[in-house]
Parts: sequence; structure tokens; C-alpha cells
Amino acid sequence: MDRRDFMKQVLLWSAGISTSIPSFRIGSGLLAAEKEPPVVSHARGKNYYELVGRVLEPLGGIGKFVKTGEHVVIKPNMAWDRNPDQAANTHPLVVKAIVEHSLEAGAQKIMVFDRTCNEQRRCYVNSGIQEAMESIKDKRLAYYHPDTRKFIPVNIERGKAVNRLEIYKDALEADTYINVPVAKHHSLSKLTLGLKNSMGVLGGNRGNMHHNLGQKLADLATVIRPKLTLIDATRILLRNGPQGGDLDDVRIIDTLVASADPVACDAFATTLFDMQPDEIPSTVAAYKMGLGEMHLANMQIIQA
Amino acid sequence: MKTKGMQLRYWRRLSQILCFVLFLFLFIKTDYSGSNELPYAVNILFRVDPFLAAAVSLGSKALVVLMWPSLIFIGLSVIFGRFFCGWICPMGSLLDGVHRFIPQVRAGNTNRFRSFKFYLLLFLLIGAFFGLPAAGYFDPFSILVRGLALSVYPALNVLTTSFFTFTYQEMPAWVNMVTEPLYASLKETILPFQQNHHDLALVSFFILLTIFALERLERRFFCRSTCPVGAFYAIVARFSLMRGKGGTKCGKCRNCMNVCRMGAIDEERHISPLDCNLCMDCIVMCPGNKISFGFQQKEVRKPAFMLSRRTFLGSLMLGTALPFFLGTRTMAKRPDPFLIRPPGALPETEFLSRCVRCGECMKVCIGNGLQPSFLDAGIEGLFSPRLSARTGYCEYNCTLCGQVCPTGALAELTLAQKHVTKIGNVFFDKNRCLPYAKGIPCIVCEEHCPTPDKAIQFREAQVLNSKGETVWVMQPYLVDERCIGCGICEAKCPLPGASAVRVTSAGESRNPENALPVQSQLY
Repeated sequence: MDRRDFMKQVLLWSAGISTSIPSFRIGSGLLAAEKEPPVVSHARGKNYYELVGRVLEPLGGIGKFVKTGEHVVIKPNMAWDRNPDQAANTHPLVVKAIVEHSLEAGAQKIMVFDRTCNEQRRCYVNSGIQEAMESIKDKRLAYYHPDTRKFIPVNIERGKAVNRLEIYKDALEADTYINVPVAKHHSLSKLTLGLKNSMGVLGGNRGNMHHNLGQKLADLATVIRPKLTLIDATRILLRNGPQGGDLDDVRIIDTLVASADPVACDAFATTLFDMQPDEIPSTVAAYKMGLGEMHLANMQIIQA
Repeated sequence: MKTKGMQLRYWRRLSQILCFVLFLFLFIKTDYSGSNELPYAVNILFRVDPFLAAAVSLGSKALVVLMWPSLIFIGLSVIFGRFFCGWICPMGSLLDGVHRFIPQVRAGNTNRFRSFKFYLLLFLLIGAFFGLPAAGYFDPFSILVRGLALSVYPALNVLTTSFFTFTYQEMPAWVNMVTEPLYASLKETILPFQQNHHDLALVSFFILLTIFALERLERRFFCRSTCPVGAFYAIVARFSLMRGKGGTKCGKCRNCMNVCRMGAIDEERHISPLDCNLCMDCIVMCPGNKISFGFQQKEVRKPAFMLSRRTFLGSLMLGTALPFFLGTRTMAKRPDPFLIRPPGALPETEFLSRCVRCGECMKVCIGNGLQPSFLDAGIEGLFSPRLSARTGYCEYNCTLCGQVCPTGALAELTLAQKHVTKIGNVFFDKNRCLPYAKGIPCIVCEEHCPTPDKAIQFREAQVLNSKGETVWVMQPYLVDERCIGCGICEAKCPLPGASAVRVTSAGESRNPENALPVQSQLY
């Protein structure tokens, strides 16, 4: 789906909402009937560069998502002033690998950024991602701190809990948006996975998102629609999330999960924590809005 | 002779420019630079200041080793007199630089207030010894750096950012092709990384402005009449080896007197080393080439300080007596509970005796959490740093403030020490905190709490929300032993206006009297 196609569909959807009977119930069932069961790929390995390539293979490889000449946003989680071992941010080598794969696929421009929670520069440095990006000598790659002028108010037409959010311009305009969250514990959302990671493109007072967080994340997912979600579970934070800090809370499992379906990807990653998808409010809310599949039985889960 | 004087004058200007550029460079570099260790001695200006060294040492009744570089300049002054004021001082250079834009109201040198600086110096040093630390209110570098850090520099960022926001939002693309790269390069070089906001921004600015306004009275008025650093150097310069010799029988020409920026030359054309800052302008202006500077000038008269005994004793007594009145205020009995000092701050009395109000810690604070106190620490605490956690917080892995403090008022902590240094303790206002007051889920404080075992924990509780529905929410509570008072919870609390969680100084490590009464239990 390219941008034009996406806009068309959004328009059709909104047209559908405005012309239908008030109780508009195009459910996941209808979508699922139209679609193949989503493919969720997962893989284990110590070589993270190789691992990224391997986990994408069942999905058709990076070329399925990044086309020549496209502008690509790669959105890792680098929200916290924590180092890679502490498992609060996406692993720098995973970010580096997905950037390099996208460059090889012919991306014209790759943008890497996050709106952090701790001081911005400290997060970029301590996460190891800045150094990883600096090591890629390619002018097509731009990693930067969000520019406060570029958060755009967006109406969330389908929003149930929130109807207006400030969203970073580059995230809205990219041809391809690749979400690269880290899988970790979070008290309120239980886990932070792909949908939660999208909060990094929001401006304004993000604290307000926490009131009815699950539904608001699903609302956000109606406008931030990654073509690819690649969940970093190379090491997972089991307690004291989302920033951790104690290595005893970290379990190294050298795993990546990838899917074109953001909800399915989150749902499968939940099982890495010995939890069920229906325990995660954002997964359930997004599924109910028809944004993707949450039942493991309805997915094609492939170990790569 | 003439060419030699000319040359010296140009060397002096070059020195002023280089020192000023170095000063600005170090000022801008007083910031996080990609690692927690600062690569430059950004606080060097304060550490070479003998007046501050004396005041801080007298105040803390100890030699402040950090300030040893000031001895170098005392030594140099024994040789060269007040050369620092003419060749090095960034404040003096700035005043020289703007001189032509600030015309004097009256021509000529009166030097009416020349002695004031000595009384002030005496008062400040005696006051420091007896417990009134006010050196930072008159020290030129404190005034300058504070003014720049708290107001001028942030204002520069407001100005440029508003301009480039305007071009970005309103101007056509071809304009932005020029302005955006320009903005980016300014941000790379001279602009601050982020917009800081400060209490007392305008006050700091107007104090700085006053020094410039005083130029209207006399050239270098501040240096001649007020500057305690200048006064300190003047006392040393009284015995300096090198001094200027004026023309004694040279007729009616008063070029040297008129050109002297310090008013150092009297009717008999004696050059007073108490005031002369060796700018070398007079050498150039003397038509008879009668002025020289050298080491073997025995015939040069030793100048007098021209102090009145009565005022001298008055300053002495004021400096001695005033500190004891400070102990009569309520705050001596009950300090402001919201006065949160930065990590590494010494116990309050010692902290204030060392703090020179230079503003370096507030400049470097990457969370924009450190703010100048107004009267919450008394008049002797004006401009001293405090954490204002609703504006910004103390970043868990950062120890920059202790690194830039020139006097050790903030001890330099290792990261491990910082992680266990408690600067305060938070309390929840259950009347406002959403899960308590309205049954709305939130827990943003817990999310941001940086200690590896979170100081903010929660209990799940069943409450009635404002619609009368029974809901389960997570209600935060604090484990006192883990909280270090960084204030990120207060900064990030999503409530509009006042935060529902506030840091107070209770339990701060530096003050055993402030210990929390009960140890909380994990449950």
C-alpha cells in the first residue's frame, strides 16, 4: 500500500463512516474475511544484523516494504537515558541493521528519530543508537532530534478516546514507516510494544495519553500505520519498566518479531513474556477497531 | 618609544578580544557535550578570581583548593599591577567595547566614588567571615555569567527561534532553502540546544544592564568605584613592581588625564597603580613621550588609598554586625521546605558561604531544573541554585552541576554517589492525583521514576470515579528509602498547573536534622 492508496482508503473509510447508519460496525471479521491471515515471523540468533535479514524473509524481505526512491521513517524506541544492556531502548545493532537493509533496498532518504522522555541528547547517546547511526556513512541517512516547529495537529477521525493529536510531520509524510520498538514491561500498558512506541511521534502533553491509554494507543494507530513492525526482543525487560536500570530485570532471548500487521506483531510478542494478547489493552482495542489480528490462531506464525 | 607604546596598546586589545572570545566559548561549552564529563574547565574565570577565593575561604574557614589558580593572578599582579582589569577581564572588555555607544553625561574624571570599592570589599570579606555571603552580588563575573545564562542567552534563543519559526511557517520554499540551513548551523554552533526558562531572568538582566548604564557617569565606572575584584587587585597593585611614570613638568596638556579610562592620572600627572589597568593609551597620547612603564621607577610616589577612617570602621562594623541579624529570622529556625538544593550541595550554611551565585550550575543543568532562589533562602541566598521541579527535573545520570561549581559548594559527585544522594522526598497530593481524586488511570510518575527499583510504586485499588462507576486504578505511593528527590515525577505529572506530586527537602542527605521520621515499608 503506498501513500496514495492509503489516503484513498482513509477517505473511503471516512466516507463509509459518514454515510452509514450510526452504529458503524465494520468489524475485524469482515477485514479478516477479505485478507489472508497475517504473517508473523520470529527468529532467534546472536548476530543481530543477520537476524534482521532472516526474520524479514518470510514476509518477503525488506524489498517488500522499502521501494527504491522512497522516504522511510525508522522509529526506534530511544526514549530513556539507559544503555543497551538495560533493555529500555531498541538495541542499536537492530536499528543499524534495519537502516542498512533499507538503504540497500534503495531508500532515497531514511529518517531516524524519537521524542524522548529523558533529556534528548543523553538518550540518543546512551542508547548507543547515535553511535550506531554515525557508523553508517551514508548521506541518505538522517538521524536528528525532533524540531518543535514540526508537530502538526491531526484530527483522529476514528478516535474513540482522543480526537486530536500533534504528530511529527516526517512521520506523517513518509512513504514507508517502520516501527522498531523494544519489547518491555510497562506498569500501565502491561507491556510496551509497537503501538506504544508510536507515542514517540507525538508532540504536546503526552501524559494525557495515559488516561485510557489502551484505547488512545489504538486511536493513534489509526493514523500512524507502519508498513512494517519489527519488535526487538533481543533482550527483554521484565520488571521496573519502561526504563528499568537493573540488569537482574533483563532477560536475554536474542529474538526478533516482525509483521506487516502491527496488532498481530504485538500480540505474538506478548507471548514472549508468558502473557496472552488479550491482557494488553492496546492490542484488544486496536483489534476491535479492525486495525489488525490479535488471535494467535488466526495468524501464520513462522519461525525463520 | 611611540611605536613601542602603540604596539603594546594593540597587544592589549588583542588580549582583550582573545580573552573575551575564550570566555564566550567556555560559556557556550558549559553544556552537555555527548558525555557526562565536561572536556573544558568552563568555570576557570571564577577560579582565577582572588576576591572570590578570599571571600569563599573566609566564609568556609578553609582554603578552597579548587580556587588555587587565583594565586597565579595575585602573583602576576605583584609584578604588573591591575593588568587583569585592562587585559583580561571580560566585563572590562565588554565595557570598553560599548564605550563609544554610551556617551558620558559629564566630561572629565571626578573619581568621586573611587574609595567605595574598598569599603565594599572590606564589608564583603568581613561579612563572608561572619556569615553573610554576599560576594556574588558584586563580583563582576557572577553578574556577567548570571546575566548571560539566565536571561541574555535564553533570550537570544527566543529571538532566533521566533524568527526562524516565522520564516518556516510563513515564507515560501525558496526562502527556507536559505533560512533552514542557516538556523541549523546556528543551532550547531552558538545557540543553546534547548530553550531554557529561568526565574529572575529579568532581574539578572537589569543588574547586568545597570553596570552598562553606570558608564554614563564615568568611563569604567563599575571598575573604578564598585568592583571588589578591582579593589582586591588595587591593594596588591599598591606594591606592584612595574608601574607607570607620568610626565611631571609637562605644561598644560592633559591628554593623558583625559584619555585614561580609569581616571588613574592626577593633576601632577602621577599615575596611580591603584587604578591604572595598563591599557597603554596614555603612552600613545602623550605628545612629549614622557610616559613610560618600567620596573626601576623609584621616584614614583606610592599612592594612598584615600579612605576615611570613619567609613572604614563603619564598613567593618556593618560587616561584623549584620550577619548576626540573619539568625533572627524564622528561616533560621524553619527553612523553606521547598528549597531543594542540587545534588552534592554542602549543608546549607556552608553551601551558602561557598556559593558565589555564578549561575554556572543553572547554565549547565540539562533538565532546566536549577533556578535562582529569590528570597526563599533569605537575602543571603538570592540567586543561589534550587531545584524547581515543575519547570525541570534533575536528570538521573547527570553530574554536571557538581563539575562546573568553581568553589565546591556543590561537591563533584561520581555517578554512583549521585544515584544515592537524596536531595528531597516527594509527597502525593491525593486531592489532585487523578487515580485518587477522580478514579482516572494515570501513573505517569511511576513510569518516569528513574531508580532501578522504582521509588514510586502503586497499589491497585477499587474506587468510584466521577461518574459513579466502580473502577480499578493504580494508585501511586512512595518508598522513601529509594526516592532521591530528582523531581522528574513533579515535572512530568500531566495535571495542568500545579503537580499532584511535589518534592520537598525532607530527608535530604546533607541535613540529618531533616531526616524523615518513619521508614516506610514495601507492601
